[in-house]
Amino acid sequence: MELLDQILPLVQKPARYTGGEWNAIRKDWGRVDLKVAFAFPDVYEVGMSHLGMQILYFIVNSRTDTLMERVFAPWPDMEEKMRECNLPLFTLESRRPVRDFDVVAFTLQYEMSYSNILNMLDLAGIPLKASQRGKKHPLVIAGGPCAFNPEPLADFIDLFVIGEGEEAIGDFLDIFRDGKRRNLDKKDFLLEAARISGFYVPSLYRVKYGKDGGILKVEPVCEGVPERVNKRVVRDLDKTPFPTSPVVPYTEIVHDRIMIEVLRGCTRGCRFCQAGMIYRPVREKKPGTVLRQAAELVRNTGYDEISLTSLSTADYTPVRSVIAALIEEHAGQGVGVSLPSLRVDSFSVELAKEVQKVRRSSLTFAPEAGTQRLRDVINKGVTEEDLMAAAGAAFQEGWQAIKLYFMIGLPTETFEDLDGIVRLAREVLARGRKAGVPRGRLRVTVSVSSFVPKAHTPFQWEPQAPLAVLKEKQAYLAGRLRDRGLVFNYHDTGVSFMEAVFARGDRRLGVVLEKAFQLGCKFDGWSEYFHFDRWLEAFRQAGLEPEWYAYRRYDYDSILPWDHISAGVSRQYLALEHRRALSGITTDDCRTGSCSGCGLCPGLEVKPDYAGGDYSAPLPGAVQ
Amino acid sequence: MPRYRVQYSKKGPACYISHLDLLRSFERAGRRAGLPLAFTQGFNPHPKISFAAPLSVGMSGEAEYADLELTVAMPASEVFQKFSGALPEGLRLIEVRPVPDHSPALMARVDRATYRAKAKLSRPFDQKKLDDAIASFLARPEIWVERKNKAGEKKKHDIRSGIFAMSGKFENDIIIIEAELKAGSDGNVRFEEMLEAFQENSRLPVCEKFVLSRTGIYASRGQEKEPLW
Repeated sequence: MELLDQILPLVQKPARYTGGEWNAIRKDWGRVDLKVAFAFPDVYEVGMSHLGMQILYFIVNSRTDTLMERVFAPWPDMEEKMRECNLPLFTLESRRPVRDFDVVAFTLQYEMSYSNILNMLDLAGIPLKASQRGKKHPLVIAGGPCAFNPEPLADFIDLFVIGEGEEAIGDFLDIFRDGKRRNLDKKDFLLEAARISGFYVPSLYRVKYGKDGGILKVEPVCEGVPERVNKRVVRDLDKTPFPTSPVVPYTEIVHDRIMIEVLRGCTRGCRFCQAGMIYRPVREKKPGTVLRQAAELVRNTGYDEISLTSLSTADYTPVRSVIAALIEEHAGQGVGVSLPSLRVDSFSVELAKEVQKVRRSSLTFAPEAGTQRLRDVINKGVTEEDLMAAAGAAFQEGWQAIKLYFMIGLPTETFEDLDGIVRLAREVLARGRKAGVPRGRLRVTVSVSSFVPKAHTPFQWEPQAPLAVLKEKQAYLAGRLRDRGLVFNYHDTGVSFMEAVFARGDRRLGVVLEKAFQLGCKFDGWSEYFHFDRWLEAFRQAGLEPEWYAYRRYDYDSILPWDHISAGVSRQYLALEHRRALSGITTDDCRTGSCSGCGLCPGLEVKPDYAGGDYSAPLPGAVQ
Repeated sequence: MPRYRVQYSKKGPACYISHLDLLRSFERAGRRAGLPLAFTQGFNPHPKISFAAPLSVGMSGEAEYADLELTVAMPASEVFQKFSGALPEGLRLIEVRPVPDHSPALMARVDRATYRAKAKLSRPFDQKKLDDAIASFLARPEIWVERKNKAGEKKKHDIRSGIFAMSGKFENDIIIIEAELKAGSDGNVRFEEMLEAFQENSRLPVCEKFVLSRTGIYASRGQEKEPLW
């Protein structure tokens, strides 16, 4: 593409757009039936750090009948050049226009990337709305965690894949190929697809609204379309395809290392956490599988670091022996091991100590709330003793900086809880001094985000705290976290507000998204590109109030916009958890042996799968 | 420790990667190739790989050089075979030779480089006119260009003494300009700034950005360039 060579010297980081990386797969277009473009609605360095993309790229390209190529959101400087030169959005492998593919598959990792989806469709020359697209356009599908409340994107996406994609993508491609052979119309194809477990076709559902604006009913428009779409789950992580020859970028990316998923799911049951609910049950990979994949990955990528990823890697039953074996096998080649997340306890510090010979980076702990009362409300099974033991151990072991993550605006929060944050931060600082960390080096960073109620969690019925309250709380903390050695960070409340709107939004928000795109919203997850005023203007033009969405308190019997999507965890369980939260009663991790009755295992006919740990069967007759 | 000099080309997608990315790509390729790369000591060990001269992002290199240090000696042919199979698209190995002990650092020997620029013309231009433009450009006693220093201040430099040769020709509607310029730490002249200075006066009807490549890097003996081997 000569035009591209004229543009690339003029943009920042041109390596984002060239393709040709090690292990990239370039297939012959003449020899496959189906062409799929995997679209990540953020910049290359972010998208390439996403393990899910590498997994699907591997699975799809392993099929002889299909090819998958990658496309990322061009950074605004590149977008400007592309629009100037009429260069349509293209994939990295073949550099063909995205509109020439059969399927465009977006991944939905966070709500604030939605504007980029519209922008990418527009750059590709593909009509934004599903209803404006026909057989000659690519089918636009989407999956990922945000697909669990797909409604705000219902106007734009033809089909959502709910849940884990490893098996679902194959099923989708099979029926798509079949439909193509039979020359099915888009509508007829979607009707067939909607019958398959995990596939949600929003155009086949009708939403009725009541006078108060709430939802009265969501129903299929015709027979054969299920009332509820269940998520897809892979049963055996060891047998699930995992890429050991992932694409290795030329240029530095956010997670520039080997990533091996050692377990999926988390059963700690933090009540604000969507990942903890939608990725159930816990499934661990066998140590042998992890070690074999690590050896292949080191050989095939040349990376110098292996990261053991999961929602909570310290919970991986054989974590200790696996780390020891990895170090033993690979340290000689200068390959290290890293852990992405730490639990708040001294065991985690022990693990960090084993993998990190040089204590240059800081350790991060997430107590999430400042008092035991509030931590019990959110079911964060962490005590002050745990935190102090972890911090003390970290300083003893030579770390000089610790980061603490908290949330503000949690249900039932008072200023006492904020005082608790200040007290904990000071206490951690004091441990550092006591351990003899030099004053100039000692640093405790307090990072505070604002609570966003998410679908499919026990807090899905809760409103978000008003913007003014969040700002007041941030100012309250900023005024108190001023000691030498303390650093206070907080998130833009405007972003959290918009996130809350879309996290629990309904399909009427499609109009807002389209207006926002027209007003130039893009890269909203990047503070330099987030324009709150444009979003508010988009709401005004659409005649909708963002407050109605973010601040809405739902009743247990309200119909929620995502009620026709099932994550497997029962509504009764979520309601029970919500009531327990308000009473400050904690719930055990199901690893400990007592089933909390979330309803997932019997409902989806799955069970937790521990590698070498004890398996505890769900109790018969548990709450459904 | 055994040192090897590799000659390679950097083209296509690889011409858009930065110097730091190139170092990373070599390190990863070395590990994939199973080469026993030598690392520096200290808190932040990095492989002992040094490049002859950094290449601007977007410019391709047809015959670049780098030195690799290994912990174990092996025949250069084996280094070639292993390493060439592990390089990503756009990086191609041309030759590998062992470097004798105590020979000077690669970077210290660099004295000049040759370049080529290509661009489309909007209308035909005469060879005679081009030759005259080059001759009058080279006849100038001084050629001043502006460079920004690290503080962002603009400073004027005379690059005339760093231009050793320059020529131009046409292939259909494409103009090709070649030059031999001073390179290395002592008075490097950038091809882009020379082209810019040349275009200011010559009024070439170029209708797109020049596509640039560095065709060679050399040491020198007296007035003559000599290979870096």
